[in-house]
Amino acid sequence: MDLGEGSSRAPIDKTRGDTIQPGNTLLLKLPSGDIKTWKFEKDSIANLGKYGSFHANELLGQPYGLTYEIADKKLKEMASRTLQEVGDTDATNELINDGQFVQPLTSEEIEALKKSGLHASEIIRKQIEQHANYSLKTEYSKEKYKKRKEAKYSKYFTVVDPTVFNVCDYWFNKDQNRLRDIRPDALSQILNLANVRPGGRFLAVDDASGVIVAGILERLGGYGRLITICDVDSPPAYPVTAHMNFRKEVTDVLSSLNWATADEEYIPIRASSEPPSGKIKSDAQRSRLNKRKLVSSSQTQTREELFNGEFDGLIIASEYDPSSILERLAPYLAGSASIVVHSLHVQVITDLQNKLRDDPQFLGPTMTEMWLRRYQVLPGRTHPMMNMSGSGGFILHTTKIYDDPAASSVMAHRQRAKKAKIENEILTETTCANSTSRSNVSPGSHPMADFQSSAEDTVEEGVPDLTDLA
Amino acid sequence: MWSTAREIAAGDVVIIWLTRDLIQPLLITPGKELNSRFGVYRHADLVGVPYGSKIGSRNGKGFIHVLRPTPELWTLALPHRTQILYLADIAFVCSWLNIKPGSRVIEAASHRKSLDLLDDSSPCVLRMRKVASWSDESCTGSGSFSHSVARAIGSSGHLWSYEFHEARANKAREEFTRHGMDPIVTLTHRNVCKDGFTVVDTVDSVFLDLPAPWDAVEHAKRALRKDRITRICCFSPCMEQVLRTVSALNDAGFTDITMYETLSRPHQVDLAPALLPISEVGERLKRAEQRREEKRLRQIANARAAAGKRKRTGEGEDNDADAAGIAGKRHKMGGDGDLKGSEPEQAPATFDSDPAPAKSEELPSVSASPPGAVASSPAADKIGLSKAFPEVRGHTSYLTFACLLPLSLSAAAALEPNTDASDVEPPFQASENKDNTTGLTAV
Repeated sequence: MDLGEGSSRAPIDKTRGDTIQPGNTLLLKLPSGDIKTWKFEKDSIANLGKYGSFHANELLGQPYGLTYEIADKKLKEMASRTLQEVGDTDATNELINDGQFVQPLTSEEIEALKKSGLHASEIIRKQIEQHANYSLKTEYSKEKYKKRKEAKYSKYFTVVDPTVFNVCDYWFNKDQNRLRDIRPDALSQILNLANVRPGGRFLAVDDASGVIVAGILERLGGYGRLITICDVDSPPAYPVTAHMNFRKEVTDVLSSLNWATADEEYIPIRASSEPPSGKIKSDAQRSRLNKRKLVSSSQTQTREELFNGEFDGLIIASEYDPSSILERLAPYLAGSASIVVHSLHVQVITDLQNKLRDDPQFLGPTMTEMWLRRYQVLPGRTHPMMNMSGSGGFILHTTKIYDDPAASSVMAHRQRAKKAKIENEILTETTCANSTSRSNVSPGSHPMADFQSSAEDTVEEGVPDLTDLA
Repeated sequence: MWSTAREIAAGDVVIIWLTRDLIQPLLITPGKELNSRFGVYRHADLVGVPYGSKIGSRNGKGFIHVLRPTPELWTLALPHRTQILYLADIAFVCSWLNIKPGSRVIEAASHRKSLDLLDDSSPCVLRMRKVASWSDESCTGSGSFSHSVARAIGSSGHLWSYEFHEARANKAREEFTRHGMDPIVTLTHRNVCKDGFTVVDTVDSVFLDLPAPWDAVEHAKRALRKDRITRICCFSPCMEQVLRTVSALNDAGFTDITMYETLSRPHQVDLAPALLPISEVGERLKRAEQRREEKRLRQIANARAAAGKRKRTGEGEDNDADAAGIAGKRHKMGGDGDLKGSEPEQAPATFDSDPAPAKSEELPSVSASPPGAVASSPAADKIGLSKAFPEVRGHTSYLTFACLLPLSLSAAAALEPNTDASDVEPPFQASENKDNTTGLTAV
């Protein structure tokens, strides 16, 4: 028993601060379900519109994930809310008619109640008391009614814990296009398939607002290396990473090049870091020149590092032709490096897979599509969400191989033996032999036959099966 | 964990990729040989070779790929390959539970180690056991999850792994040792539902892959640290299990309870000839029709010739009528739209005489050119096609997640009187609910 390993001795968070600090970019979840981005500036006042405003310093040193009620610009931590059991009901909507006047509280009266400082729960209670048809409602719609009113009058918010999952989810819901359809499930599969681990050295092409970069940086935890290649001439803004509130040492492992500076043939044009007159005229000039020198030397270093290769993995989520990216970056990958390409378009991944399977330096390219369904879990009301995300995009995964052109397949030898026997069949057999030397990728063989067969083998296991419950 | 060196060394665990369907782990032991239908390989010859190399066999027949293990490859290399289907689940769980460098994690799952546990069982016995215990059939098992977690948490994190079955616990322990995971994984053989976990107020997340996770929820709560938000995931194949788990989590004070299902749908990609336009199909049909017509005319002509011969030899009239009859019948069958042709000979004759000869010369050349082009440049007219596999796994398990919020002074105070916790809930509402239910049960 290793008892006594209390939280007091538990390690600090490796990738971000343990508590909320000034300078953090926070995600605040409002009663309506919307999430608002807010940058914590010390001594400022945060304004959440109709949900009220509060002194920012109230959040200082607080852990992430808590819910607060706003009263008089102060925050009161709300206890965690548990699910409410819904009683059985025999009510139906047969006696409820649309458009009937049921709510005698006017908006002016509600406004007055709010001004009097009455708590949201009291206002809702009053509304329910006055509601003509409330008792006729089913327990389900009573719940819904209360929820709706709560979203309207309550003044509370939750500081979303900035995990990669939560941040990705926030961005995906906010603007799926900017994330190139990288849903949290897609991101988690990409990171796992690419074998991202602390200490690894990775390349990434992230045209998805930095969600890939955020994921890799967190998985590296400040150990290892990440070089990204972008399509702009200044260091790329990866806006998703801002919400992660990374420690400095976590982001320090990241360097970026662009498609010009990542070109071995190209010699970047650099302004001289020597004063034009041969003499430094002012301190301002000195610091400007020093800065210039630093930038160019760090760029030279990153270039050298890239060109020296031996990277452990490559993740591509780009708007550009993935095969051209692979052509450029694959030489910098070590043997057994994982390559993961994500695209929101099935054609892009299909075409890439067709290209890769003729290339012996890529082993077993595999294409998959993500599927994700969320459920509402409430006592007596558990069912899949009515809306679900249509697509999280498509993924191709393959492994970099040091090819040995001299090695020939067993099939080729068998064919050769056959050839000696039956001269006639030379032509058809050798074409066959050629393709079976890559038997796993030949167009004829099902590339993922293992999936199919295993699905058949275990079809019995398909578990929501009533006999299993007996 | 596994070697991160560029080259393979003696004692390394490597993954041998023979084909897509044949992947196996190998402990490099100089002196031993790897024998397969893809050739013979000396372990000693693999030492010093860079990971990710294609290796030709000693006799020059066949080759293998030697790969660095990853949790995913390891899973693929296990005898029980259905586990691949859980990769989507494992990735999703790791992500939701926020498992990252430095994380402290509890896993109570069933480590199904190898087929030898199953080999002696008839399908019937297997089925019985499946009903008796989920742990055998519905697990992320085989250490797939453990390996994934170990990779993510790195040397600064820790994984406490619990196994109910003693033999399996021992096998899992051996494997963790062989994979160099000892410093970061503690494996304990115990029934966590009964005896709880070995740590208190310590871990960031808990993963329960148990037949009755609700029995372990309170234990999990004790093991989770209380100074920051922590998370739990219960992995259950049945909805009934989910409902019980949700209610246990709720009773224990977990919040943000949610549930997901995730799947990875494999696609089959083919390079296929471009789809034909219907104009080509039309031309082919026209040519066929033309050939049929020519054949018919030829038959008529032959019949005539034969009849003429017979006429010359003597028995004329009957056969002549016969030939005309055949021609008429055929015509009715072939072109019944051609009603105006009172004389059967007329229509085919015109078709045959003026436009047809020119056409028959022209047609093949016109329609032959597109297929000819396809044959000459096959790559140009091939298109990439992808489709989902016809039969795929439709369900693995439900992933039930919840958070446990840190205890602060104010929250701890508020927790005590439970009515306070739900202060948006009007007090009279609760009593009304109660009335409602009691009323119903009375009825």
